[in-house]
Amino acid sequence: MEESPLHQFELENWVPISLGGLDISINKAVVFMWIVIAVAAVLMIMAGSSRKLVPGKLQSLAEMMVDFIRSMILDTMGKEGMRFFPLIATLFLFILFSNLIGLIPGSYTVTSQIIVTAVFSFVVYGISLVLGFMLHGAKFLGILVPPGTPGWLVPLMIPIEIISQVARPVSLAVRLFANMTAGHVMLAVLFSLTIGGGLLIGWLPFAFTVAIYGLEFGIAFIQAYIFSILTCVYLGDAFHLHGHDEHAH
Amino acid sequence: MAPSQDPLYAGLGQAVRIATDLLAALIVGGGLGWVCDVYLFDSTPWGMIGGLVLGLVAGMRNAYRSVQRWTNP
Repeated sequence: MEESPLHQFELENWVPISLGGLDISINKAVVFMWIVIAVAAVLMIMAGSSRKLVPGKLQSLAEMMVDFIRSMILDTMGKEGMRFFPLIATLFLFILFSNLIGLIPGSYTVTSQIIVTAVFSFVVYGISLVLGFMLHGAKFLGILVPPGTPGWLVPLMIPIEIISQVARPVSLAVRLFANMTAGHVMLAVLFSLTIGGGLLIGWLPFAFTVAIYGLEFGIAFIQAYIFSILTCVYLGDAFHLHGHDEHAH
Repeated sequence: MAPSQDPLYAGLGQAVRIATDLLAALIVGGGLGWVCDVYLFDSTPWGMIGGLVLGLVAGMRNAYRSVQRWTNP
């Protein structure tokens, strides 16, 4: 009964595999990552296979989702951003489904591991850097000096901008990881209070558990949304050099 | 998706974004300063102090930038 609220995040190797000194064992997180991919893929393929003019429930849900991602890309990146639709849709669906599946009691939230979110965010940021240098060449370094900076401020602005650029993938990774971890710790603490409190006072933390569980559903959507819209914003910054300060969309 | 267009949830998302923007830049600034101190210049503690100050400024700037985007979504 008395177990740490962080116990839920601990991973033990189910199938220990070691490849040249690299630990690639299969644990709970890996299995749940497979489950998330399978659920998302099966749902979307099933939804996409009927292609009726008047969509059924599943198809209209999928259409809503595709439309939502599409308008997100068009708002932040414009038409040329549609190249990245597969990347952003995949990120959004994976994060959304892993957040939602993690809410099922007894399952595991893949996005509560900082390594997962960090890999996503650094890959996204790497893509935006490569894209920026491909499109603008060395001029892309101008992103370190915002337009309208007086000359004497440039030596100060460059370190500040470097830090604020490096902080982008860090904040992207930390945000998703911290939100999922904090939510699950809170649920665990409240529920252990419920069990410890018994019938006399236990109903109070139980009511909070229910309320916060509902909030966590919202958070699952919001975090998937924020992660993918910030991906769009960062990729968009690589498209439109200095576009981010003048024309806020 | 309905929840993200709900004003409560949209506001919640924006609030969470600002907080982590500030925090992440502070961590990165302090971290880079610390790396300069320990591995590059042997200038403890000035690199970390300077890095933290710059990180604070960079965090403010990132937060300011994301606020700028809200005005006409």
